[in-house]
Amino acid sequence: METTRENTDSAVVLAPAGRLDFAAAAAFQDIIEKTIADAASAKLAVVIDCSGLDYLSSAGLRSFLIGARSAQTAGVKLKVCALQKSVAEVFDVSGFSRILPPLSDRAAALAAL
Amino acid sequence: MSTATQAPSLIEELVLLVVEDDGGIAFTAGTPGFGMAVIGGCLVELNLVGAIDADLDGIRVLDATPGRGTALDLVLSEVAAGPEARVEQWVVRLFPHAQAIIRAALASLIERGILAQSERRFLWVLKERSYPMRDDRELKEAKRRIYDTLMSDQIPSPHDTVLLGLALAGGLLEAFLSKAEISRLEDRIREAGGIDLIVRGVEAALRQDQLVRAQAMLYPF
Repeated sequence: METTRENTDSAVVLAPAGRLDFAAAAAFQDIIEKTIADAASAKLAVVIDCSGLDYLSSAGLRSFLIGARSAQTAGVKLKVCALQKSVAEVFDVSGFSRILPPLSDRAAALAAL
Repeated sequence: MSTATQAPSLIEELVLLVVEDDGGIAFTAGTPGFGMAVIGGCLVELNLVGAIDADLDGIRVLDATPGRGTALDLVLSEVAAGPEARVEQWVVRLFPHAQAIIRAALASLIERGILAQSERRFLWVLKERSYPMRDDRELKEAKRRIYDTLMSDQIPSPHDTVLLGLALAGGLLEAFLSKAEISRLEDRIREAGGIDLIVRGVEAALRQDQLVRAQAMLYPF
């Protein structure tokens, strides 16, 4: 799995692409945690654009939960957007959508900050 | 002999939830819900150590090497040898092992000095009911952590959301919260509990089990 990172005026945008399973979860979690720490220092929000993410397992979902918890603790706004159908289903079935409701696309996520 | 310096596993924490203040075992320990919650706890532990991963289609075995303790090795070997199946199907299939896993967890808690057995009662040895973690931070007892999670609006840790979700699925909250408290906290319980695909599989298995039991009552012949 690859994750790209770019800055806008208001947020750091992470864009994971590929499969987020056990093999990829620890590295992705590190990226989220580091991004949240950087965003907290720069007083920016974090957006995770999932348009390139085509698979999410139980272990991968845990990285999102840890990220959401870290963002809350750091006082950083976190949005997720552009979920593919299979990933959206994992968010819904697990109940993670209630913790972090996904937005339709990157523009909507940036507008919601 | 190992000691209480090692924090209890998720399975051991589920077992500790049914130990009442007077050392008795809550009646919920004998229900199918508790057994299925314990099986779910085994699957979550195997997921945490990278032996399996799970998604909406089923469980994938990543590393079937034994050596993770009797209970986890037993569950892992069955999953590795079995056909592909969804989490809820595995929970039902593995359920007959639940009682042995619960007994092994109780024995381990006694051996490690967290509980002491006195006739048919299980008494806490650690007066403060907390145990040091590996990084020397103190970990609060499971009941207190669940209560703290319910009283706060913080996003729960992966471990605590699983513990709360399995406790709810297994009917264990009734062992230490009143019905009025559970009713008052219902929204928070639903929000913070079981944000995990394996826990959702345990819930689905329980719904299936209840349906089968209801049908058996209505159509006994």
